Amino acid sequence: MDVSLLHWILLLPLGAAALCGLILRRAGAAAAIVSIGSALAGSVLALRFLGTLAPGQVVSWNLELGRLGETVLNVGYHVDGRSALMLFIVTFVGAWIHLFSWGYMRDDGARGRYFAGLSLFMFSILGIVLANGLVMTFVFWELVGFCSYMLIAHYFDKDFAAAASKKAFIANRVGDLGFILGIAGCLSAYGTTDFAALQAAVAAKPAPALLGFLLLGAFIGKSAQFPLHVWLTDAMAGPTPVSALIHAATMVAAGVFLMARIFFLINNEAVLQFCLWSGAGMAALAGLCALAQTDIKKSLAYSTLAHLGIMGAALGLGHPELALLHMAMHACFKATLFLGAGSVIHGCHHEQDMLRMGGLARKMPVTFAAFLVATLSNCAVPFLAGWYSKDAILEAAHAHGAGVFALLAVAALATCLYSGRMIRLVFLGAPRGEAAEHAHESPWTMLLPLAVLGLGYSVIAGTYLGFPAASVAALPAPMHFHLGAASIVGLGSLALGFLGALWFYGRSQGDALRDAAPGLYRALERRWMDELYELYLTKVQQPAAEIIAFLDLALVNGLAGKVIGAGIPALLGAASRRLFHTGSIRATAAWFAIGAALIAALLLGIL
Amino acid sequence: MVDYLPHLLDAAVFAPLVLGALMLLLGRGAALGTLALGANLAALPGLLQLALLLTEGRSGANSPLGCFQLTPIGAALLGMTVVVGVAAVHRALGQLRGVEKPHAYLGLILILWGGTLGAFASPLDQRTGVLGAYVYHEIALIPTFVLTLFWGGEGRRSAAMQMAIYLTLGAMVGLAGLLMCGFSPEGVGSQPSIAGLILLGLGALVSLFPFHSWAAPGYSAAPSPVSMLHAGALKKFGLAVIATFVVGRLGCWSDLLLWLALGNTVLIGVVCLAQRDLKQLVSWSSVAHMGPIFLGLWVADKTGKADGLHAALFLMVAHGLSAAALFSLANDVRVRTGTYRIEELGGLAARTPVLAACFIAASMASIGLPGFGNFWGEFGVFLALRDQPLWIQLAAASTVVVSATYMLRAVAATFLGPLNPELAKREAIADLGWSERLAPLLLLGASVALGFNPSILTRLFAQ
Repeated sequence: MDVSLLHWILLLPLGAAALCGLILRRAGAAAAIVSIGSALAGSVLALRFLGTLAPGQVVSWNLELGRLGETVLNVGYHVDGRSALMLFIVTFVGAWIHLFSWGYMRDDGARGRYFAGLSLFMFSILGIVLANGLVMTFVFWELVGFCSYMLIAHYFDKDFAAAASKKAFIANRVGDLGFILGIAGCLSAYGTTDFAALQAAVAAKPAPALLGFLLLGAFIGKSAQFPLHVWLTDAMAGPTPVSALIHAATMVAAGVFLMARIFFLINNEAVLQFCLWSGAGMAALAGLCALAQTDIKKSLAYSTLAHLGIMGAALGLGHPELALLHMAMHACFKATLFLGAGSVIHGCHHEQDMLRMGGLARKMPVTFAAFLVATLSNCAVPFLAGWYSKDAILEAAHAHGAGVFALLAVAALATCLYSGRMIRLVFLGAPRGEAAEHAHESPWTMLLPLAVLGLGYSVIAGTYLGFPAASVAALPAPMHFHLGAASIVGLGSLALGFLGALWFYGRSQGDALRDAAPGLYRALERRWMDELYELYLTKVQQPAAEIIAFLDLALVNGLAGKVIGAGIPALLGAASRRLFHTGSIRATAAWFAIGAALIAALLLGIL
Repeated sequence: MVDYLPHLLDAAVFAPLVLGALMLLLGRGAALGTLALGANLAALPGLLQLALLLTEGRSGANSPLGCFQLTPIGAALLGMTVVVGVAAVHRALGQLRGVEKPHAYLGLILILWGGTLGAFASPLDQRTGVLGAYVYHEIALIPTFVLTLFWGGEGRRSAAMQMAIYLTLGAMVGLAGLLMCGFSPEGVGSQPSIAGLILLGLGALVSLFPFHSWAAPGYSAAPSPVSMLHAGALKKFGLAVIATFVVGRLGCWSDLLLWLALGNTVLIGVVCLAQRDLKQLVSWSSVAHMGPIFLGLWVADKTGKADGLHAALFLMVAHGLSAAALFSLANDVRVRTGTYRIEELGGLAARTPVLAACFIAASMASIGLPGFGNFWGEFGVFLALRDQPLWIQLAAASTVVVSATYMLRAVAATFLGPLNPELAKREAIADLGWSERLAPLLLLGASVALGFNPSILTRLFAQ
């Protein structure tokens, strides 16, 4: 197997990013062509790679960058079937998002910067997929964080974009703190950070729970798990294709991918229990919260949170392969939903409020068709992409216990509810606003990705599991429909939720739930964790910083200045006199030592 | 192999010193072009030496005069000082037109640079070398005070005085320690107080907590080229001596160093959160970033392994580049807006996209984003701490969150969001011109080179 193919896949987007960011900054169209071209080429190469990989084959490559003492800084690839499939999904979904951006960002003045960010984003996520160890993963992990920062801040002259980008980066860094300590822990316990070597070492000596929790921090930050989920819903401040990229192909997927890859390290009862309950809880709650959003992108963001919760629950259930499968399925339908939302927003002249839309099915038929198929996939209609993974996870939850199953059942119902609501408010009924009246269908560069990802991928992705390539990736075989607890819940919520929502939200001009139960709506709309963090930042962290800064000024600067200013010259004077009298260097030095120690002790005592 | 350039290392040090002294003494009334020519000439041998270092490693350095010889630490810091110095001198040249007594200003900056180069070119593992390094350090320190006092900004008098007191006393206390051990690392173990004297005395030069009070006001008041050279390069002299003399011989001072280093990392990190002035913030963050370096030295002493030492050295070099870039860019903001106060800024990216991109890149470098040199240093320190108690690791690594918070906050408040209405009233705010881009691009480019290819540095350590 040719490693140079992997070099090309990884470095093409980096080259494109450098070209767009440094040279083509003002040449928007050229930058777009370079970036889109590199993404398309990448997906072709990834497909070729996937096609030539034999089942069970691993392609590896290692490069030592340097050594700090005994610590080896290395990068390298370790690509098995699973990573190869992931490589293809990332490049494939990514390429269509790139193409969609051609139309969506056509009038943007900063396309060079935008496409540079997009390509850098692809480079970063591909690095995570290819990585052969924790060090390289962390390098690209951080770069993903930076890329999200850069792209969320695309409309940087808006206050909310400035705040959202900062929030995303810092929340990710909180998770990365755990990641760093986890990497150090692995190095300390097993003497290596390479995946293959770690796996062998862990087989002999299981990882302690603490290590698992530290590494889980990476997942909590990047994949927006509770309690660091707050950045994801704000990440909507970026252009819509960026949301598609973050939510589908790249950023949140990275966390799931990493956890599946190092599952042997987090495979500990306490860690999995935490992952399971926080995931299932978030799945249920976020799904309901999506009902109380009027911004179409925000509503979709809550939907992503719910699905990430389901993936977390799958990990917690001990089924990393199901988490991965759901991530792959989610990638295609969520990308379609976001691109569909982008098409809607573009068609409605940048209107994002669903309550001012309506009746778009007739005006934007292609967008509607793709959006509908992706929505149905999202609702886990049998034999569409989302069904394969969600049904399997529900099944596993049912086998585990009633509590988790109930939470995931609520999540399934909520999914159908918000999906039905979205279809009803956006596409059906009569237009409720000026923008919706004059809506127009998007250009073909936007519709083609929608058609491919939505109509094509959402429909056939599940059946793809039957192809031989699936055995390369060691994903679960395709299921056949059978009537169990999971499918009853699935079909029940579909009928009750989706059709119910279509009916319920047709009853009112505004939001039917807000009219019927304003208290409930407000409770779901309110951002409790954000308020808590805000409280911490303004009432705890900032005052503490001010107090410490003041103490530093008053005590360390003031007192130390006085002590040093007056004390040391006196000390030196005394010492030098002594030196001249006794001629003893030892005595002088002793004086110095006493003086310095005194000052140090004094300052430490004060503090 | 290296015979064709026998005096290159000597020339690299003496060219800035001699040309600086000539400018200072004879340059009154000289045309700005002549001064610029002199400064460029002064930089030439240093650049050649850097090129030789990059291609031949340390073996390429030679000094027939016998006073200079590159140790691994010295080579790494000398290379960095060349880059920082070129950027700082270029910055000084760019603003020479508005400066009073430009010949003296530029001459002193060259002497500051040359002294710093001399300090790192002197071999710290030889007696005469230590003494030489110390003398060159003093040669560089005096122009620092003078430049701050006469060409500084707001609060320059008190800042220069405070700086002079702290740094002179620190250097004297350190000298006492060096005297007692007979200028030889082996002598440090003879008496426990020696390590303490060197650590605290020279630690004060590096703004080791709680001897850091001089740093923020000093760097804020100093002219930007001086802040760049001192915070970036000269400050590392103290660290180099500590790394050579004290690491491995800390003895009873180990616990104290740990606490003081955590003071830099955690407490000063929190102090950074309270800053409302861009240059103050950059100054304070430069103090906070000394924390992980000291932690690396501490753990190298504690475990006897080179991991922490090499990571700390890496971070010293990378921090020099990123700190210099931030000082330079913060001053670019001030030149355009007339202020460093963050609340009076905002939304600048719309007017100055290149400046904003450079500032964001420099901020990302300073908070240890991969792709920049600082990452390997900081990450290497965290990894070197791997066998220490979890709370120490947690306290050390907390800097990744805290530093990201204060730097991104400053970036958002300065460059993002809507343009500050007060700034909108000013006439055109121009972006970085081509000449102004040289300093940040040079520094950031060097940092990116280290980020992508850390072996540039690590192979110097291994030799």
